[in-house]
Amino acid sequence: MNPITRAQIRTQSLTKRFGRTLAVDNIGLAVPEGSIYALVGANGAGKTTLIKLLMNILRPNAGSAEVLGIESSKLTGGAFSRIGYVSENQELPDGMTVGAMLDYFRPFYPTWDNALEQQLVRQFDLPLKRNLKHLSRGMKMKAAFASSLAYRPALIVLDEPFSGLDPLVRDELIEGLIERAPETTIFLSSHDLAEIESFSSHIGYLQSGQLLFSEEMAVLGNRFRDVTITLTSPSPLPVNLPATWLESQTADCVLRFVQSDYSEESPREMAQRFPSARDIAFEPMTLRQIFLAIAKSGRGSQVPVALEKKA
Amino acid sequence: MKQILHVFVKDARRFWAEIAISLAITGIFTYIYPHQWRDVNLMHRAVMFNLAAAGGMMGILAQVLVVLVPLSWWLLISRVIHAEKLVGDRQFWLTRPYEWKKLLAAKVLFLVVFLYLPILIAHVVLLLEAGLHPLDYVPGLLYNLLLITGVIVLPLVTLASLTPTFAKMTLAILGVVLLVAGIAALGSLLPSDTTGSVPSPLGDKLSTVVLFSLCGVVVVLQYALRRARLGWGLLMAIPAFLSVLAFGDPDQLLMNRTYPRPASGTAAPVQLQYVPDFAHQASTNTTNDPQELEINFPLHASGVADGYTAIIEAVKATIDAPDGSHWDSPWQAVYNERLRPDTNDAAVRFRIRRSVYEKFKSTPVKLNLRFALTSARTDSITQIQVPAHDFFVSGFGVCSPHVGWLQEPLGITAISCRAALRQPMLSYVSALWSDKPCSPSQSGPFTGVLGTAWAGSLETRPADFGISSVWETPLSFSNSWAAYSQGSVPMPRHLCAGSPLTFTQYRLAGHIQTDLTLEDFHLPGLDIGSTLLFMTR
Repeated sequence: MNPITRAQIRTQSLTKRFGRTLAVDNIGLAVPEGSIYALVGANGAGKTTLIKLLMNILRPNAGSAEVLGIESSKLTGGAFSRIGYVSENQELPDGMTVGAMLDYFRPFYPTWDNALEQQLVRQFDLPLKRNLKHLSRGMKMKAAFASSLAYRPALIVLDEPFSGLDPLVRDELIEGLIERAPETTIFLSSHDLAEIESFSSHIGYLQSGQLLFSEEMAVLGNRFRDVTITLTSPSPLPVNLPATWLESQTADCVLRFVQSDYSEESPREMAQRFPSARDIAFEPMTLRQIFLAIAKSGRGSQVPVALEKKA
Repeated sequence: MKQILHVFVKDARRFWAEIAISLAITGIFTYIYPHQWRDVNLMHRAVMFNLAAAGGMMGILAQVLVVLVPLSWWLLISRVIHAEKLVGDRQFWLTRPYEWKKLLAAKVLFLVVFLYLPILIAHVVLLLEAGLHPLDYVPGLLYNLLLITGVIVLPLVTLASLTPTFAKMTLAILGVVLLVAGIAALGSLLPSDTTGSVPSPLGDKLSTVVLFSLCGVVVVLQYALRRARLGWGLLMAIPAFLSVLAFGDPDQLLMNRTYPRPASGTAAPVQLQYVPDFAHQASTNTTNDPQELEINFPLHASGVADGYTAIIEAVKATIDAPDGSHWDSPWQAVYNERLRPDTNDAAVRFRIRRSVYEKFKSTPVKLNLRFALTSARTDSITQIQVPAHDFFVSGFGVCSPHVGWLQEPLGITAISCRAALRQPMLSYVSALWSDKPCSPSQSGPFTGVLGTAWAGSLETRPADFGISSVWETPLSFSNSWAAYSQGSVPMPRHLCAGSPLTFTQYRLAGHIQTDLTLEDFHLPGLDIGSTLLFMTR
């Protein structure tokens, strides 16, 4: 992250407990202005809780968070005129039509853009006269998006916005979102890597309430390599492998692992470490492969040390 | 202000059906309620022609509507508060630019327009229908709205602010009802020596203040912070406080302050003596509680000054036996013992644990009875001749003679009065009965048996809590039936148009205690008749 860039969201040691369950554990996070930050993690990782803490829907047990420079616990009233929040679980004012809901929200926002509202209505093909409670889930999400984008918020916070939607609706929403990206900061959570990989600029990985890492997508892609080392003779898995090597396994003469701290120096270092190797191959990894490797290595074992580096 | 109006208009549009239901019920209530007094003579005729069911229907309907009006408010309050519910974490409004003070103000505005204004209009209409001028009772009208807020609206708003839906709010109300019932049941099960109750001005005031304050705090806290657990915690303080109040009974402790002992040389407003004779014999009776007995004392009363009345509000008994054993009763309420200068008799009774009675009954004891007395002086006297139509008595209200009852087209069998917003001033009303049926040619001077009635209270509040703004006070005169004579059946007496009717109205003069000590007193034996009656129940 460019240190000069202002952070639109910043947390310090943010912690939330529900009884004995630690839902969010000591999280430090910074979301730079203008970024599209994807918070990923399995179901139950703590994504929704973290977002609710940021939106002052829940109160933290410890730590603090700032959103648009305002302490999250003081985020009320007018501050929300600069934030667009959409959640898969959010209730809309049932009993209103889509048009009535837009009419109702409009006066709350000084920056409401009627032309943009019309554009979003057309783009999402919203039925203005239909009652919200009679809309499909996809239509409801579109209505929520339209009502949260029409005032050009400085920060858009989305909690699992595409979950359970059909691909067509999902693409429509992503398209609408990307159009807004140049003028805003987007912070969204998802457990579906494929849907965020194409447009996110930053990524954070949450597991069991802990933020394992938070960095730019490009840096993440450069850091991970699928390494295959072909040895001259069969060899058992070496002991004391670095913690940054994930999913290490050996079969016959082949040693495979995922290197999570790849750099330009890595080929030379690896050659020195395995002087008898016949071949050493470094393959770039997709985001999905990276997260599968992290998720698998994280289960039942300690988090790799190198992955705790924060952006 | 813009946001307040914006949210208000949204709610008004969204809940038009609930508003319509509430307004319709209030409207029907306003239309039906006056029939109770407007058609009183019509009802009598209906009864006369065996149409009692039809005659009573309006009265029943009016009472049903008295219940339906607050029920419609329950629905209205639930809907409008739950539109932006304060419990949960999925509400759309939490992440919209709502300011909690404006949101709360919008809800208050909604209630003012669709709850307070309609009921205020209904109250004004009812006063007009009762023949009372609303502008004379503006403080009372506003005070009653305050009482409605404290008794109904604020508790409902509080429960709505702590629940997410109408169903859960209903469950919460049921829970509160069960809790209060549980506390009451527990109170009756606990062994206690504090049988009876006393006038409870302090307890009532404390309960009102605590209920009002805590509910207000919870509502504001919920809107400001949305901390439902904290809200419920605070709300639980109310039953806890009421329990302490019920079991602690601070009014018992403060009776000596409310009713001070007389300074030396100061005469009590009434002298009470126990001189046993044929008509004045103390007796002991069973009560519906097998562990308790009731000792009745017919007393001689004298010394009430002209222009005054003395009211025995409570009694406290103390027993001292020669062996040094001692028993104190708590203060126990005495009802309807209002003594005038011409009153010679009074009756008080106190309850005693059966075990205490058994302990003292066989030995002469020193019995001390302390009376808490209220003294009231005459404020005004109004004398009129009973007209055959409605008439107004200042400070009392509008009264309607019941004519055409018991197949007597001219006889007035009763008088019912209507007061604005509260019971009328405490009044002693007297009229002259006629033993003969009334006739058109009848004119004074009227002679006959005096019929008397007490009505009203000494309270000076501008209003008592009520869904209706009109309080009905029937005047039930004594001696309404001619006494038995051998070989004859009792006959009703008649109140004829033109008969003199006197309203003596009283104002509070003061409170004081007085004592009656009986040395070497034997507790009266248990009345076997009443015991057998009790055992056969």
